[in-house]
Amino acid sequence: MATDIRNELERARTDEELPLAGVDGSRALLGSLGVVAFLGLWHVASLFQPAYVLPSPLAVGGTFYAEAASGEMITALGQSIQHWLPGAVVGTTLGVAVGIALAWSPLLDDLSAPVVRLLRPVPPLALIGFAIAWFGINNAGAAFIIAIGAFWINFYAAYGGVEGVSEDLLDVARSLGVEGDLELVKSVVIPAASPEIMTGIRTGLGRCWMLVVASEIFGVPGIGRQILRAGQNLQVDVVIAYILVLSLMFLLVDTAFRAVQRRMLRWR
Amino acid sequence: MNAASADSGVRIEGVSKHYDAEGGVVRALEGVSFDVDNGEFVCIVGPSGCGKTTLFRIIAGLDDATDGAVYLGGDRVEGPTPDMGVVFQEYHLFPWRTVRGNVAFGLEKSGVPEAERRTRVEELVELVGLEGFEDSYPKALSGGMKQRVAIARALAADPALLLMDEPFGAVDAQTREMLQTELLEIREETGKTVLFVTHDVEEAVKLADRIVVMDKEPGRICETVPVDLPRPRSRSDAEFGGYYERVLDLIRSA
Repeated sequence: MATDIRNELERARTDEELPLAGVDGSRALLGSLGVVAFLGLWHVASLFQPAYVLPSPLAVGGTFYAEAASGEMITALGQSIQHWLPGAVVGTTLGVAVGIALAWSPLLDDLSAPVVRLLRPVPPLALIGFAIAWFGINNAGAAFIIAIGAFWINFYAAYGGVEGVSEDLLDVARSLGVEGDLELVKSVVIPAASPEIMTGIRTGLGRCWMLVVASEIFGVPGIGRQILRAGQNLQVDVVIAYILVLSLMFLLVDTAFRAVQRRMLRWR
Repeated sequence: MNAASADSGVRIEGVSKHYDAEGGVVRALEGVSFDVDNGEFVCIVGPSGCGKTTLFRIIAGLDDATDGAVYLGGDRVEGPTPDMGVVFQEYHLFPWRTVRGNVAFGLEKSGVPEAERRTRVEELVELVGLEGFEDSYPKALSGGMKQRVAIARALAADPALLLMDEPFGAVDAQTREMLQTELLEIREETGKTVLFVTHDVEEAVKLADRIVVMDKEPGRICETVPVDLPRPRSRSDAEFGGYYERVLDLIRSA
C-alpha cells in the first residue's frame, strides 16, 4: 500500500504539470473523441452480450435518469457525503499534522518509526472490525474507514514535503529573529512544504471517494451500499449508474481543489 | 532606533572549529581573531577551503565554534540574532512571499505594527531600487534582483551589522559590478558596519576598508591589509593594482 500511495502521489504530481484540459483546444478535442470512441466500443460490445453481463451505454443512461428521478440517488449521495466529508476532513487534518510533526521532530520520528511501519501496510478495509466495534454500523464507522485512507496519503505527502524543506531557508528565518519550533514550522516549514501537502490533500480527496464503497460494505447506506447491493442482484446497469455518481463527484471535487491549489501555489 | 550609531563593532576572539572526519580531526578554523570597527567595511578573502564560510556561519550564530567567541557591540553572540542582517550567496528568498513579503518577514516576526512595517518596506524597496516589483514573486526576478531583495530583507530590522557570504558570487560580471556600487551607496546611506566574505580579490579591493586574508589547513588569518584608496575605486588605477597583487600573493602563498 505504501508504494501504492507513492505511485499515486507521483501521478498527481505529473498531472499538475500538464496543461489544464480545455485550455489546450486540441487536447480537449482529442479527449472528446476518446470518449465517443469508448462509448461506441462499449455499445458495440453490449450488442453481443445479455444486458445482465454488459448493458448498453444508453440503457445505463436510462437507469441513471430513473435512479436520479426517483430521488434514490440523491438520498444515497447525501448519505455518502456524510461519510466522505467527515472522513476526509479528519483524515486529512490528522495526516498532515502528524506528518509535519514526525518529519520535523527527530525524537518523535524515532519514537514512532516502528509503529508507523507496522501500521502503514494495513488496508483500511481490514479495519472494518474496529469501525464496527468502536463506532457501530453508522456514519461514524464509515467515516472512520475513509479517514484511515486519507490519513496515510496525507501523512506521507506532508512528511516528504517537510523533509525536503531547505535548511538554508530555516537559517534565514532564524537570522531574521524567528525562534522556537512552532514559529519556524508556521512561518517557514508549512509554506515551504505546501506544494507537497496540497498534492497529498488532492490525492487523498480522490482516494476518499474510492473508499466510499469500502466504507459502506458493512451495511451503512449510501452510494457504495447501492453499488454492492445492485452487484449482488446482477443489476449491472445500476452498478454502473452509481459508479458514475462517484466518478462525477471525484471530478467535481478534484477540479475545485485544483483551482484552489493553483491559486495558493501561484508563487511557483 | 538607529543601531549604527550605537556600538556595532564586531570582535572575533580566538575562534576555532574542529570536527572529526575520516583520517582524523579537521581543523577548519584555528584561533581566528580580529575586530571590525563601528561603521567599517571589512572583507574576508582566502583560498577555497580556508574556512571562510565556516567563519561566516559562526559569526552569524548559525554554527557553534569549538573554541573562542564572537561579540557584537560588546555582547556575546549565542545564536542567530536580528541584530545581524545576513545575506547568503544563493539569496534564499522565501519563494512563497512577494518582494514585499520577503522584506517584511523580519518585521512581522518582531511585531512591528502594520503601518510602520509598510513605510519601512517601501523605504527599503526604494533603497535597493526595486520599485514596481513589490508584488512580484522571486521566481519572476533575475539573480541580481533577488540579491537586492535579500539585502533589503537583511536591512529591514535595522541590524547593527550586515554580514554577507559571497553575495555576488552567483550573478554575472556586469550585475556584480552594479551590485557592488549599489552596496557601497547603501552603506554610505545607512552607515552600516559590513563584514563581507568573498573569494574575489578584486571585489575585496574595490569594497573594503580593510581586507582580512585567510590561510588554509588550518584556516587562520595570515594578514590584514588596510585599503587606503579613495572611492570610487577603479581597477585601472596603479594603486588598485598594487593592492590587488599584494593580496593575491598572500593568498597564493597561503
